[in-house]
Amino acid sequence: MKRLILLPLLAVTLALAACGSSGSNGSSSGSSGPAPAGGSKNGHTTITVWQGDTETEAAGFKKLVAEFNQTHPNITVVSQFYGNSDYALQKVLAAIAGGKPPDISYLYGSWAPNIATNPQLATLNKFIDADPSFDWNDFFPAERKVATVGNKIIGIPALVDNLALVYNKTLFKQAGIPLPTANWTWSQFEAAAIKLTNPAKKQFGWAYVNDASEDTVWRFWAMLWQAGGSILSPDGKQAGFDSSAGIKALTLLQQLTQHHAIYLDDGSDNYLSVFNNGHIGMLWTGPWDLAQIVQSKVDYGVTILPADENHQTISGPDNWVMFNNGAAREQAAWTFLKWLTSPAIDLQWVTLTGDLPVRASVAKLPGYKKYVAKYPGVGVWAANLNNATQARPQSTKYPKISTAIGQAVQSVLLGKASPKDALNQASQQVNGILAAPG
Amino acid sequence: MSAHSATGIAVHRRPSLLKRLVASDHLAGWVFVAPAVILIAVFAIIPIGWSLLLSLQANNLIAPAHYVGLANYRALTKDAAFRSAIGHTVVYTVIFVPVSVAGALALAVALNRKIRGIRFYRLAVFVPLVTSTVATGIIFLWLLDPTFGLVNYVLHLVGIPQQQFLQDPNQALYCIVAMTVWSWLGFDVIIYLAALQGIPGDLLEASEMDGAGKWSTFRSIVLPLLGPATLFIVVWSTINALQLFDEIYVTTRGGPLESTTVIVYYLYQQAFQFFNGGYGAAIAYVLFVAILIVTLLQLWVGRRRVYYTS
Repeated sequence: MKRLILLPLLAVTLALAACGSSGSNGSSSGSSGPAPAGGSKNGHTTITVWQGDTETEAAGFKKLVAEFNQTHPNITVVSQFYGNSDYALQKVLAAIAGGKPPDISYLYGSWAPNIATNPQLATLNKFIDADPSFDWNDFFPAERKVATVGNKIIGIPALVDNLALVYNKTLFKQAGIPLPTANWTWSQFEAAAIKLTNPAKKQFGWAYVNDASEDTVWRFWAMLWQAGGSILSPDGKQAGFDSSAGIKALTLLQQLTQHHAIYLDDGSDNYLSVFNNGHIGMLWTGPWDLAQIVQSKVDYGVTILPADENHQTISGPDNWVMFNNGAAREQAAWTFLKWLTSPAIDLQWVTLTGDLPVRASVAKLPGYKKYVAKYPGVGVWAANLNNATQARPQSTKYPKISTAIGQAVQSVLLGKASPKDALNQASQQVNGILAAPG
Repeated sequence: MSAHSATGIAVHRRPSLLKRLVASDHLAGWVFVAPAVILIAVFAIIPIGWSLLLSLQANNLIAPAHYVGLANYRALTKDAAFRSAIGHTVVYTVIFVPVSVAGALALAVALNRKIRGIRFYRLAVFVPLVTSTVATGIIFLWLLDPTFGLVNYVLHLVGIPQQQFLQDPNQALYCIVAMTVWSWLGFDVIIYLAALQGIPGDLLEASEMDGAGKWSTFRSIVLPLLGPATLFIVVWSTINALQLFDEIYVTTRGGPLESTTVIVYYLYQQAFQFFNGGYGAAIAYVLFVAILIVTLLQLWVGRRRVYYTS
């Protein structure tokens, strides 16, 4: 019975989405109907924000929204929890189809190119251009790239993270190797990973997410960029990863698997509990794992990723996306987002939650030191945002490209293909995807 | 029905349509089934119609769609990934259905006895069915973990080398079969238990008096009488197997190397990861028709071979 429900449900979702795509032109104002709440009356505007925050972040967001509502008597922000952010897109699509999208929604950055095709999406260029005090360039480059599709700015950076190297100091001491530094190279990293490996003790030097999802792929992009490679050709029309840099990156993975130095995570993020139990020497991970690592009492350190040619990392920014429910609500939504992402409020947010600041200037505020001291190691990730100079291609085809690369990386990790063959096959697939219309 | 006129002559007239409706069993019947019919209409029949329409569109579920005729279906015929998804689904179904039917029959017979603690055993068989799929998935991921899993530990004790299980493209689908058989067996067992308890005692007694042994009683009396239950379980399990999704979604996500990408998982990928809503609907439609044909075929074969007592 559990399973039988699924097909009709998928069909309903699809059908709902289909109904909407022909209708509603988005000019409806909130006063005409029920949820999501919203409306504009006598100069007072109510807007709805959808988000998927839980625990610490939910409490923090509630606090900030209350503060905004108090300081802005003409606007009331209603914050609604939409469940896990993984499924936000489906819900927002259904709401658009129903003609009542939220005014603001938290959406993953990887959805940006596709969501940009929706006519009811509000583009933000006009607000940003008209308001120099907003200072768009204060946001980190990787964030701005993900919020921009073509020349349309479709969202304001909501959350940003990146990969850094987290290591278990105890295991390094036991193996008798010096701790990683910010000047580490790939060969030092590789040698350490092999030395930290001990099959008898079920101990691994490193961990890699091996479910062929984007979690597998983005780690590979970081390595590709470190080796000086690029994802696509300069004109964006062909695969670019099938290069000496790509082969170098996959060869590093291949050699480490051959030494059984990598704990292959099946995608359920078990790597974290394995690391926290002292069975993994090094992780490439983001600040999202920090709270649990602190709790586990592992004696850990954080530094930037090792370099082949450079120390680049990859960042996965998410966006606050606005939908057009009439000019008054659009203006109110913009006012809220501008306030929410202003340096002072952002510092307040990251101090509450341990997230990374979305603006570079936050690091210059007097309260910043207190934030870094509250979350040991978080300063490395925050500073590491400057190493996130590149972003994944902003293309509606990216999910397909990612799938092809995921298969290539996985086939090398499982010893089923050589780096050269795997990249060759993936690049043929990607060229086909890029050449296809639509 | 008759009506008496004032003259006292009995006349027979057809009562009004309304009266007939109210008095007939049909109305009461329809009223009783209405809640189910409405639910099925809203959640099955209307979506089935809608997805047919959707399957004729290029629709990313975000931007306005446009009509493309049969292009999605034509693309499906050339899609190698779809073909391999069909292959995985067929392999899964062909193993899952017989294994779960045979397993359920054996368990039901074992549980249809008056022994101490029978309630506990029956409960134990039923518990996996009511365990949420997510919990089942996590349990199996840990049990089958190559490095830290209990299964490899036991294998190690008896000298079998470490297996990769869900992380091995050659083993993953079979691990999914094992996991789903475990979690779905309880349902089949209940059906079989009910059927076993519906077998008249005098029939069994008669066969015993005629000198039939336990095995021949089972083969000649019990098994044929379980026919309707078996037909139901086979049809039901096949439909479920062809729609396998949840268990894949919470464990392997179609991997490793797409070795567990079954049809509905592929549909999900297309519609919700690649934004090919119309294409996803076309896959759903092909699957719908395939399931319809398979089910009708099973029922047709079943009707000719199953013995109904009533």
